[in-house]
Amino acid sequence: MNLFLILFIALAVLLVLLLAWAVRPPKRTLVSQEDIIEALCEKRHYARLPQILQCLRPEDTDFLHSRGYDNLVVRVRRERKGIALDYLRYLEQEYQLLLDATRILAKVAPEVSALDEFQRFRLNLRFLLYCRYLRWRLRLGLSPWTIFGILGDMEGDITLRLEAATTSIGERAAIASEFPLFLQNRRDGSQ
Amino acid sequence: MAPLLLRNLSWALTTLLEVVLLSYLVRKKLYRSHPAFLTYVLLAITQSVIVATTYQMEGARSDAAYNIAWGTQAVLVCARWLAVMEIAKKTLATYSGIWAMASRLLLGTGACVFVYAIVASRLHWNLAILNADRAVEFGTAGFIVGMFLFVRYYGIAMPPFDRMLAIGFCLYSCFVVINDSIYENWLRFAGPLWSYMDLVTYMASLVLWITAVRNYAEANHRVAQPELTPERYAELSQKLNSRLLLLNHRLDHLFRSEDSRS
Repeated sequence: MNLFLILFIALAVLLVLLLAWAVRPPKRTLVSQEDIIEALCEKRHYARLPQILQCLRPEDTDFLHSRGYDNLVVRVRRERKGIALDYLRYLEQEYQLLLDATRILAKVAPEVSALDEFQRFRLNLRFLLYCRYLRWRLRLGLSPWTIFGILGDMEGDITLRLEAATTSIGERAAIASEFPLFLQNRRDGSQ
Repeated sequence: MAPLLLRNLSWALTTLLEVVLLSYLVRKKLYRSHPAFLTYVLLAITQSVIVATTYQMEGARSDAAYNIAWGTQAVLVCARWLAVMEIAKKTLATYSGIWAMASRLLLGTGACVFVYAIVASRLHWNLAILNADRAVEFGTAGFIVGMFLFVRYYGIAMPPFDRMLAIGFCLYSCFVVINDSIYENWLRFAGPLWSYMDLVTYMASLVLWITAVRNYAEANHRVAQPELTPERYAELSQKLNSRLLLLNHRLDHLFRSEDSRS
């Protein structure tokens, strides 16, 4: 059997697998326009970024360490790691909300630019990969809390990723301000 | 003789299923919403009758039978492609922006896959018709999978009836690609078996379609979606993209500053 035939069969099988993946029901149900607008009006998690960064700083627990409260230091750091992970999860949820908004926008748009949509898709992938990477860094890297060099690197990473997340969440402002307007336009148009 | 008998029985059963499907389509008045699919089923029945008559009169291995079988197959493949386009249009065309983009992308993907399949078969011109058949089916499968990916990404509601029709077409197309490739390699040994396997897959698709018509045909309606004005969309899209561009620049900047630190 030559290479091309094997490739044909492999690609056909791949298409069947892709089909099976594409037709299965989505894990996350897409929310409605109203849900998105409501959620966008709620307080945003990224506003708490300074507190999160502060709690991850080594200086925050140096005092306890120097006083010999090692057990307490471990506990505090473990709890703060949990908070940081929760924060990251909320950021991801907010980003997904933004993505839902862009999809709804695409659904009601008369013309959609393939390049723009691809760019958004690429940024989404990038964001998700960063979040995943950061989560593992938090899980693995924060365990040896006493190694300040690692923590310093992590802080840089956290700053980098959370800055990215914060900036991207800022996109919501555009959607939040524009969505009610175009919904209003729609209502006016339908009357 | 046994494989030939099996093939003939399968052929008869397939034609029967096609007639059942056609009767359901007519009874449920789906010729209004799915004219291309109905035409496809009609043509499939006509092909079965024509080819069976030719086999009877001229013999299955005659040149006339070969020409008629593949000639009608070409017509049928075109009809199938139109039926697939009909489903894609019904699913995505409600969202004019997405449809404008997706139709170009999907047609481009289908064409690329078709060209690839033809180019990849360049050394086997004696099997040109088989290669063309495989290429078209490959393109069709790629088109349908692409359509489903669009549907999933944008969370578009697709009626179960159209979904089942598309799945049936896609599975059949994928299997034809596999079957043709196997046939090409074991040409001498797998002739009747190849034909039989093709019929079995087609029968499975027919059963899927009959089930879809019986169970989901009534729920096959759609609500028209509202639209933004082009100016409004352009404005929103530009704002969104400029912010995402800003995000990219900030990321690059942060990456560079991190590199310089290390």
